[in-house]
Amino acid sequence: MKTSWVLFGALGIGTTVMLSSFLGFFEKRVDYNTQVKPLLNKNCIVCHGGVKKASDFSLLFKHEALAPAKSGKPAIIPGDADASEMIRRLTLSDPDERMPLDHPALKPDEIDLLRKWIDQGAEWGDHWAYQPVQKPEVPKIGTLWSRLGIAENDETNWATNEIDHFILDKLKQDGLKPSPEADRATLIRRVSLDLTGLPPTEKEAADFLADKSANAYEKVVDRLLRSPAYGERWTGMWLDLARYADTKGYERDPGRKIWRYRDWLIKAFNEDKPFDQFTIEQLAGDLLPNPTDDQLVATGFHRNTMTNDEGGTQDEEFRTAAVIDRVNTTWDVFQGTTFACIQCHSHPYDPFTHDEYYKYLAFFNNTRDEDVTSDTPTLRFYKPADSLKVLDLQQYIASAVPTPKQAQATIAQVTHLLRTVEPKINSHDFDQYVNASLLDAKYFGFQDKGSCRIKNVTLTGRPRLLIKWGTKATNATVTLRQDKPDGPILAQIPTPKPGKDTVQMIALPAVQGRHNLYLSLNSPEKPKDWVQIKWVAFTPVLPGQPQNAIGEKDKLLLELLNADAEQTPIMLDGSGDLVRETHIFERGNWMVKGKRVSPDVPKSFPAMEPKLPKNRLGLARWIVSREHPLTARVAVNRFWEQLFGTGIVETVEDMGTQGIQPTHRELLDYLAAEFMETDQWSVKKLLKRMVLSATYRQQSSATPEMLAKDPFNKLLARGPRVRLSAEAVHDQALAVSKLLSQKMYGPSVMPIQPDGIWQSPYDGESWKQSTGEDLHRRALYTYWKRTAPYPSMVTFDSPSREFCQLRRLRTNTPLQALVTLNDPVYVEAAEHLASYMRSQGQTPEQQIQAGFRQVMLRDLPPKKLAVLVRLYRATEQYYRQKPGEVDKLLDRPGADCSAVSPQLAALTVTANTMLNLDEVITKE
Amino acid sequence: MNKLIQELQQAAAERETRRHFLHTCSTGLGAMALSSVLGSCGFFGKENPQSNAVGSALPSGEPTAPHPSQYIPKAKRIIYIHMAGSPSQLELFDYKPELAKYNGKDCPQALLEGKKFAFIRGTPKMLGPQGKFAQRGQSGAWVSDYMPHLQGVVDDISFLKAMHTDQFNHAPAQLLMHTGSARLGRPSMGSWVTYGLGTENDNLPGYIVLASGGKQPDAGKSVWGSGFLPTVYQGVQCRTDGDPVLFASDPSGISRDIRKQTIDAISQINQQQYDEVKDPEILTRIAQYELAFRMQMSVPDAMDIKSEPQYMLDSYGVDPNKGSFARNCLLARRLVERGVRFVQLFDWGWDTHGTSADGSIDIGLKAKCQESDQAVAALLNDLKQRGLLEDTLVVWGGEFGRTPMQENRDGQTLPFMGRDHHLEAFTVWMAGGGVKKGFSFGETDDIGYYGVKDKVHIHDLQATILHLLGFDHTKLTYQFQGRPFRLTDVAGKIVKPILA
Repeated sequence: MKTSWVLFGALGIGTTVMLSSFLGFFEKRVDYNTQVKPLLNKNCIVCHGGVKKASDFSLLFKHEALAPAKSGKPAIIPGDADASEMIRRLTLSDPDERMPLDHPALKPDEIDLLRKWIDQGAEWGDHWAYQPVQKPEVPKIGTLWSRLGIAENDETNWATNEIDHFILDKLKQDGLKPSPEADRATLIRRVSLDLTGLPPTEKEAADFLADKSANAYEKVVDRLLRSPAYGERWTGMWLDLARYADTKGYERDPGRKIWRYRDWLIKAFNEDKPFDQFTIEQLAGDLLPNPTDDQLVATGFHRNTMTNDEGGTQDEEFRTAAVIDRVNTTWDVFQGTTFACIQCHSHPYDPFTHDEYYKYLAFFNNTRDEDVTSDTPTLRFYKPADSLKVLDLQQYIASAVPTPKQAQATIAQVTHLLRTVEPKINSHDFDQYVNASLLDAKYFGFQDKGSCRIKNVTLTGRPRLLIKWGTKATNATVTLRQDKPDGPILAQIPTPKPGKDTVQMIALPAVQGRHNLYLSLNSPEKPKDWVQIKWVAFTPVLPGQPQNAIGEKDKLLLELLNADAEQTPIMLDGSGDLVRETHIFERGNWMVKGKRVSPDVPKSFPAMEPKLPKNRLGLARWIVSREHPLTARVAVNRFWEQLFGTGIVETVEDMGTQGIQPTHRELLDYLAAEFMETDQWSVKKLLKRMVLSATYRQQSSATPEMLAKDPFNKLLARGPRVRLSAEAVHDQALAVSKLLSQKMYGPSVMPIQPDGIWQSPYDGESWKQSTGEDLHRRALYTYWKRTAPYPSMVTFDSPSREFCQLRRLRTNTPLQALVTLNDPVYVEAAEHLASYMRSQGQTPEQQIQAGFRQVMLRDLPPKKLAVLVRLYRATEQYYRQKPGEVDKLLDRPGADCSAVSPQLAALTVTANTMLNLDEVITKE
Repeated sequence: MNKLIQELQQAAAERETRRHFLHTCSTGLGAMALSSVLGSCGFFGKENPQSNAVGSALPSGEPTAPHPSQYIPKAKRIIYIHMAGSPSQLELFDYKPELAKYNGKDCPQALLEGKKFAFIRGTPKMLGPQGKFAQRGQSGAWVSDYMPHLQGVVDDISFLKAMHTDQFNHAPAQLLMHTGSARLGRPSMGSWVTYGLGTENDNLPGYIVLASGGKQPDAGKSVWGSGFLPTVYQGVQCRTDGDPVLFASDPSGISRDIRKQTIDAISQINQQQYDEVKDPEILTRIAQYELAFRMQMSVPDAMDIKSEPQYMLDSYGVDPNKGSFARNCLLARRLVERGVRFVQLFDWGWDTHGTSADGSIDIGLKAKCQESDQAVAALLNDLKQRGLLEDTLVVWGGEFGRTPMQENRDGQTLPFMGRDHHLEAFTVWMAGGGVKKGFSFGETDDIGYYGVKDKVHIHDLQATILHLLGFDHTKLTYQFQGRPFRLTDVAGKIVKPILA
């Protein structure tokens, strides 16, 4: 019986296989990715997917979908739709049985499609973006003769590079024709705004117009790519992704100095650091061999997470929140896949499991930042005099250690300590409190007779205790004991003098092994006064220094540790006693820890090469490996979106199965492959490729036919036309009015801002308006407070940068009009532009034309000119009659009183109007 | 203008499939076009009323339960009065005579074990109610002598006396109250509501925030931020000093008339530009500039309370020359009267720990009540008189409650009487649009420590508010980072017994 059943079964499968392959001759194969998966996602996955597996049936993974469901048999029998429960349930009429439950039935053609798919073997396919990037063939255009250059052809004449072949191919399919090249003035403005965030000067435009050489445009592009403004423009984009801000976020939102990271970005873009290296340094610069300062500063990328300084908040909770944010941001930025879902459960749509989230998190979970108020670890930049002392100490070590190799190692260890004050144990890790408290839930403190434990400290070779602490108590002593509260005494340490916290060094007897240590306080004079400890560290003794006492060089080291130094937050991994284990959080709750996991990448992706270390560095190298399907695609798509206004995949933030399908998938793959191979991850080469294309250079006006066939310009039969970014709106106004400062780098600045924007409930930090040229810096240098960002930036769609924001959604609101009409920054710009206009002609017509050329690099057509001249004449008459109003408009600090006149006032109004025109705040 | 609107509509129709921000929504994001856009784009299940848009992100409920239908809204607008810092329910509404008996006694250890407080350390003493309580009105609601004016309107109010929260610090608790999450980055309730409902008045923002008490709420502007929703939905703070809306004033030396001429010039040139390049976004921009011009008039007009008769100013207790909570109450009425959808009031200074006279429950809290009590009662009466209370929801409350114990910060005895933050029990009240009148829901134990009957969580309150405004809180969602988000996260039950 049994045998015959098996035989029969085998026969059955054989027949269906034959049948389906036979039918295959007549029937096109159903494509899982483009036809089946969208249906499943829309109708089935909600109940039969990652979160829920109703009746134990899930469609997320093939092995799940083909496994027996609750009924005991699989719902899908490959090759036999009629026997598949899934099809049966889709076609029933009883509403209690028919799927999707409580939802309208699938349409007959949809069911047919699923039936066909199962009959054809129910093949699963990987989502396109999870498949390796392969360079597709470039579509041919024109005719054979035109390709050989023998005959003229519109298509070959139009196209300038491969991008155009892909675009044209698609346009032809939809019966559209590309647009001609934009006029030169429009083109140079477009490409300048795109590549540098600034409009070209009139001279630059004139030079381009006059240049008759064949590669005139390419020369402009090369000049722009070399301009320092290039790095500033692309840094502006990256700061949203890095959620860069000058404050720490959360309630108190106090200041944070991390602008060196911003400056690192500018330099990295300007020197065209290859994108793979750019990625590695930001994710894991600290783990590179002998990292440079720059490589450490680059890790600021992931130190832009928020830190919570509010009283009563648990450091571990917010440390965890920061680590989770790093995981999510890494996926968002480099892999264009939302990974955050599987924090709580397996991914509902994409092939990732809950465990895989925490394996990935384990890469990030070992850093030394612990949500402490000081934002450590930081890289310290000593003042010049102190730097000399650092050098002294290094030279001393070199002379005091017998072998150069040993000297090198010791110097490295001491320098690391001086530059980062790591490794150390933050006092919030102490436990077994007696008469002690975690003061303000931040730092450990104890009163007279108080004590605590420091767990698991390896003392071998570390006979020096460094302690940072402070108190108001006097004549108090802390006793350090080994192993037990009443164990052997290692040291008796007088508390520091009342005042500022200081770092002290205490010589300890040589102890081997790992021990629990106990601190107890004797403070009879002022028993209620707290002794507060920030951190402790156990370090080797400097060479040539006494074992049992503090020597001269010890003192020098201490002096440096206590010296004021500028700091910027960086990433550093813990080692030894400080290595952290990672556990799964049950349903995403950090308090409920599940099984332990070790670092790894999700199985749906290529595995990490065995030679890669299982740490952040290995992860970073994996992310930029040629085999990784997403990184290059995501990067290329992002740069494309910046130029064309919309990505090839519109959902720049999501290339997963929930994202929008690409408009030109082959083009995306072509560009990704070229980016990795030919261009060796050079962003400048990638951008050059894009802006040199005929596609990019097209004029942006639309015809009724184009609007009818392609209202949103997805097919690119015309050039991009989009409103400028918040930064570009600001920078352009300053640039055309000749107010813009060329100064680069340095701490963030505070330009004019209305009163009352900042209200810090506790710390009383305030907006202190900058002076001199810092009033007119590019927008990316404006101080960014997360809870109260610069108002005009937010009005023009900047995010608050609490979390990584992958795409700014462009809005068009009345509040934007109020900014460019009335914000003093823009009124000042108008006034400066007006002064320029006045110097450029005698008649209002001449002056207005001069102003418009300054902004738009071309003349106003007569009809538009007439509107502005009318406005000018009306306002001039008004100001003639009301001289008091002239003074009110033009009287501002630094204004030239002798120049004030009704004409200048009227020109200011005209310039203000000009700076509000749609074409001015739009990249055309 | 008519021609412009026609063109705009035409352009909008042409671009029906545009995925600008709402996957299937048309047109740009101009506030002018908002209500029509939102009405037509089917962003929460309108396309397919049966679709369970958020089901994917939710733990399974009853898979066979009927899907709730769309509701007819009981409230068209809302005034949310947030007393930042959190008033003591034990002095105002939650009368606990038993607590008086324990006054000065050590707090039982059972109430302290495993609990975390913001400031209480060691063993604090119990603190009896400081207000004198009596039952008021027909409904017999308990209100203390701290709020003599409110006593007169209790028959319009529903009290929720067993509210509870998850957060014992101000900023996260305020965030939870207004965004449904204790972390920064989520849209505020007002943003959700304007995202869902649009605005009734084209000349004013749909979501306006007014703050008093000298400081912003602890959580800063995030409590009226739009989070991941487009920025058009964020609350617009009307300021008490300077421009009521940022940059609404014309620059000094530019008259209204000149501004009108500049806007006209901009519109004419933009229209010519549209004729040339046919980008529909230009039409939206023309409309937005004209709206901006109207807002410049209508916002100062709405904010100008000097036009109110003296008796009206007197009834609220307003000094028209000074920013104050009372002034904001009057402004709130003026704004809802003009069709503003969501008016959010914050009043700072209710955090009464006992560390200073201002921050004490016997002196400071009394003073805050005196400053605000008359205005709140006047607001309810005023709305009622104008027939607005029927479809205007008024909500009053803090972000958490206060402990039945006297605070002993860091184990020390404090100079004044105060209570620490308490997340287990507090009182919120609602009145107007769709809630029962003269009703009380929920009870706490004898000393007001825990809710013991009909507890209401923050997410339940939010679900109820959205319900009253006509939303199913599980369906008002927005796709972000790969999943649909909503105000109530994965929780929230409508408090049905308080619905009228």
